[in-house]
Amino acid sequence: MRYARALIVVGAIALGLLLGAALDPQGLPFVGSERLSAVFLLDGQAYFGHLEDTPFSGTIVLRDVYYINDASKVTTDLPVGLLKRGSELHQPVDTMYIRRDRVLAIERVTSGSPIGLAIAGQRALERGAK
Amino acid sequence: MTRRAAPDAIRISRRAVRIGITVTVALLALLAIVGLAMAARANEPVTVATAAQMKVQQAAAERDVERSYEQSAEQVIKVRALSLAITAAQADQIATKALTDLRALRHSAYLSLGQVMSMAAAEAETYAAATETRFDQAPVARETASPSPVLLAPRFYAIVARMSELATLLADQATTQLTAPPPSSSPSPAPSGSARPSPSPSPTR
Repeated sequence: MRYARALIVVGAIALGLLLGAALDPQGLPFVGSERLSAVFLLDGQAYFGHLEDTPFSGTIVLRDVYYINDASKVTTDLPVGLLKRGSELHQPVDTMYIRRDRVLAIERVTSGSPIGLAIAGQRALERGAK
Repeated sequence: MTRRAAPDAIRISRRAVRIGITVTVALLALLAIVGLAMAARANEPVTVATAAQMKVQQAAAERDVERSYEQSAEQVIKVRALSLAITAAQADQIATKALTDLRALRHSAYLSLGQVMSMAAAEAETYAAATETRFDQAPVARETASPSPVLLAPRFYAIVARMSELATLLADQATTQLTAPPPSSSPSPAPSGSARPSPSPSPTR
């Protein structure tokens, strides 16, 4: 019985260490600033938003989704424009399920980047409109 | 003194009680996890642009609208300056109308920018007029130092993209009208059947 208890404690510590090593402290809920992710797909498309990456699931979930659009014919400073997903013809809801095997890379978007600033600007405009 | 169970009492085995408690605890744990996840999602920190960052966005959007206007207006003016097949009066009329339309389009774009920034109608009108005056005095084309490029917020980008599209359309329409051949006074004779060239006899050797 004593050995069994010791085994449970050692197992729990080992599991804790394993999870602790794999865990991103920035990814913990209720901690830190906003976590925006960039999801790059194999077909070259990139989506930005709040990522929910559930282990052992075949899909990842992106909420509050934005994507880049070609703006080479628009007189903007940059040859790309940022669009918010939801204004397409089928007006999708604000949740996007992406097949995990189609994902090339996932990166964290910094809040001071052009993408981060543009999304923050959009939020300010949306809040002002309410 | 021994207590005897009532004859209609329900007997539950200890094993069943343990299973019941385990299932209840598991359900409560699951509920807590789901609730925690929902609370975490609802309270997810969200970054909103500061007033200074919005000023940068606004200035970039204004500049983009103005750049679109100036490019289209310049196209019309340049085509008007060419020696055209139509009369000068016709060319002036077309160019003036195109430039007036472009100015109206620019005004409308600035009004939209004001509305997106939650300005009241009168305030947006004042803002649009003031912005137009500012850019008329100091056009974007004459800017010496270009500010660092800004990626616009989607709402600003939508206005700039629409402005660009319509301004290009207006300028192209005016260009087409200005460069059209003059309408001929006498209609050209319709080709008759006899005018069709007949096959020439093949040379004989």
